[in-house]
Amino acid sequence: MAVYVQFLIDVLSLGSLYALMALGLVIVYGILKLVNFAYGELIMVAGYSLFLLGGTPLPWLVMAAIAVLMAIGAGIATEYAAFRPVRSKSVTAVLITSFAFSTLLQNAALLFISPRARTVPLPDIFSDTVVLGGATIPLRNILTIVAAAIMLAIFSFIMKKTVLGLAMRAAATKFTMARMLGIPANLVITSAFALSGLLAGVVSLFWLGRIGSVVPGIGLEPLLVAFIATVIGGMRSLQGAVVGGFLLALIVTTFNYSLPPELLKFRDAFTFSLVILILLWRPDGLIKGPATGQRT
Amino acid sequence: MLEIEGIELRYGAVKAVRDVSLRMEQGELVTLLGANGAGKSSTLKSIAGVLKPARGTIRLDGQDISGLSPEQLVRRGVAMVPETRDVFPDLTVEENLQLGAFCRRRDTRGVAASRERMFDLFPLLAERTRQPAGTLSGGQQQQLVIARAMMSDPRLLLLDEPSLGLAPVIVDRIFEMIVELRQSGVTILLVEQNATKALKISDRSYVLSLGRVAASGTSDDIAARSDLKSIYLG
Amino acid sequence: MNNSKLITFVAIVIPVLAVMLAARFLGFPVFERIATLLFINMILVLGLQAFMGNSGILSFAHIAFMGIGAYTSSLFTIPLQMRGMVLPDLYPVLKPILLSPYAAIAVGAVAAMLVAALVAYPLMRLSDAAAVITSFALLVVMHTIMVNWSEVTNGPRTLFGVPKATTIYLAAGGAILAALVALYFKESRTGLLLRAVRDDEIAAGAMGANLSLLRWKGFVLSALFAGFAGGLWAHFITSYQPSAFYLKETFVILGMLVIGGAGTVSGAVLGTFVVTFAFEALRATENALNSSSVFPWQLVGLTEIVLALAMIAVLVLRPGGLIEAEEFGATWRKWRRRG
Repeated sequence: MAVYVQFLIDVLSLGSLYALMALGLVIVYGILKLVNFAYGELIMVAGYSLFLLGGTPLPWLVMAAIAVLMAIGAGIATEYAAFRPVRSKSVTAVLITSFAFSTLLQNAALLFISPRARTVPLPDIFSDTVVLGGATIPLRNILTIVAAAIMLAIFSFIMKKTVLGLAMRAAATKFTMARMLGIPANLVITSAFALSGLLAGVVSLFWLGRIGSVVPGIGLEPLLVAFIATVIGGMRSLQGAVVGGFLLALIVTTFNYSLPPELLKFRDAFTFSLVILILLWRPDGLIKGPATGQRT
Repeated sequence: MLEIEGIELRYGAVKAVRDVSLRMEQGELVTLLGANGAGKSSTLKSIAGVLKPARGTIRLDGQDISGLSPEQLVRRGVAMVPETRDVFPDLTVEENLQLGAFCRRRDTRGVAASRERMFDLFPLLAERTRQPAGTLSGGQQQQLVIARAMMSDPRLLLLDEPSLGLAPVIVDRIFEMIVELRQSGVTILLVEQNATKALKISDRSYVLSLGRVAASGTSDDIAARSDLKSIYLG
Repeated sequence: MNNSKLITFVAIVIPVLAVMLAARFLGFPVFERIATLLFINMILVLGLQAFMGNSGILSFAHIAFMGIGAYTSSLFTIPLQMRGMVLPDLYPVLKPILLSPYAAIAVGAVAAMLVAALVAYPLMRLSDAAAVITSFALLVVMHTIMVNWSEVTNGPRTLFGVPKATTIYLAAGGAILAALVALYFKESRTGLLLRAVRDDEIAAGAMGANLSLLRWKGFVLSALFAGFAGGLWAHFITSYQPSAFYLKETFVILGMLVIGGAGTVSGAVLGTFVVTFAFEALRATENALNSSSVFPWQLVGLTEIVLALAMIAVLVLRPGGLIEAEEFGATWRKWRRRG
């Protein structure tokens, strides 16, 4: 019994984070057909903001809020620096600028902060545990699940009930038509990047809660996770990204519980081979979305 | 109200329109006729700001609008219904209409009034407000895109081939609606393959051929000139 | 070889030879090292150009093939008496085989090409984002394998004991050969068709061009270049680890190609030179600043920041790179005719 509870909570908490990571990548991809390689660095920015605020007497929740705001700012900065100037050019150009911007942010962290890991302040509640069905569960895993549920609810409200959300969904399917109705392209695009930053910021808090410190390369794993989850879930579907996140968490956790160590180290090779196979089978990912990928 | 002077439009190296000039007065219903590839749709796109002219000017109420973006033009009262009948398939009919009123979304009373007017004009839509637009039939989608364009309360409506691919009964209904819209005071520029019907309801017509204006005049005169039929019927 | 291609080729050979001779005879060992690495990078960039420049598809997997070339060639050249220490778990079959470094480098290049030939064909029908993510996934898969296949790579730890065999002459010769092959490939039937497909996938497909096959040929050729460069590199550096073949190196090679101009062989070469010189100048500045302690902390990452900014600037201002569409030879002939 205890093992099953443990497994379930592990899958759900990891899945919550993966789902949010994937959603943050897909919101931009769905509207603009841009694979944002600088997405992981939004998580890095939030992490370093938290580290820099660590010395101040602010309450943790305020620090966390500022860190999330910084991630949103970094998301918008990505759009202005790496996307807007090359929007009308080739897909390849846009990919390369986002890759370059990712390297730029990482090396800025190396240069101005440190190549070494920096510990971030975390609230005490993150290290507490609770006993549930006989299993000892870190409380932060429960908090992760709750926070992700709230984020998904907010996100779903924005996309379904606000005019801006509707405009973004419209632009994701028919960008030019949306503009011909007076929906400003720049507003839609900036909002998509800001939402991507919001999701990355929230992910960052709980991701750091798991690993405790921030390094310049921290964004790579979330980026890879988001890639896999979106490929599994369908690169153009928001619901698909969430489903993909939870599915990936299920796969990874199952591997972790069942594979012997000498095979476990090849886990990434397995999951990424799976990605390649899925894309070969269905180039738009498993779940089909409505997007067409116009962006001018 | 609208003056186009000697515009040239290109897609890369291909010239779609070489030299087109036309004028429209407030409240007119004008038709653009011509064979496929004559440059009709491109001319409409340039007025809507989707295509930038390589030469020439487009003026709305005396002001040059040839450099403006599509979203700026909507705010100046130009609405475009493209021939591709682009509904947002996963949004409901209601949400599609709501986006049509995007640039006047703060004027809630005005938007509600327009919505009622559109439901009077297109009663089919009123019954399907909560249905995803992708599930409507072709004729219903055409009514939706026209209604959606009207939600911005435009002064100038650009209609690109509204009868394309629709059954004859529905085509008749669409033409009736165009006449009704025109009577409510909207200026309309209509591109049509169905020349006979379009000439019947419009005040004046321009016939385009290979990117130039081949003839223009009142619709009755154009309809009477048998030599033009071979041009606009293709 | 027609006239304009010959001029392009000569224009590539002259600076290669000039840099080689200058580096060799100015008497600073560090210059020789920089020049040798420049030529090896040039082979990598030309390899990426052969695929990306002609097909228009971004490939992240290129550097992994460099890794295959490096590891495969090293397996056959590490002295027999050292093998037990360097690779204690090496498969018994491989233990007694010793090749000359030149033969081993050739084996490494062929190995990279064969791996590419085996895995790449199904990937070649994908375009746009799917193509990029699969190539990225391929890089991650091959990197994970290099990090964990301890029997032949010594895992994430440093592989050492590789004999030094790559001279500046060999590297320069390799670079010139690579330029020649890249020029020929671009004008070959496959190269021309690939570029036609790049410009209009549907039209070229309708004409009967086999998209996957064409891209596959380009990809396999580019892997051959990468494997060759990897072997040369391994026998120049002599000790290395899997992290040498990952995102950082990918970024540098991609930066060289994008800044120079992915569409042309001349651009790839120019980009390699420009970025190498800029990099070395920046690194020297970084070192000088660090040793004089102008800043209270160590400067790291400045060079990458400048390269990233340069890449973005080039893509915004001149999306085709410094030499966009026309090889140097063609431009030169136009000047001559006008002058």
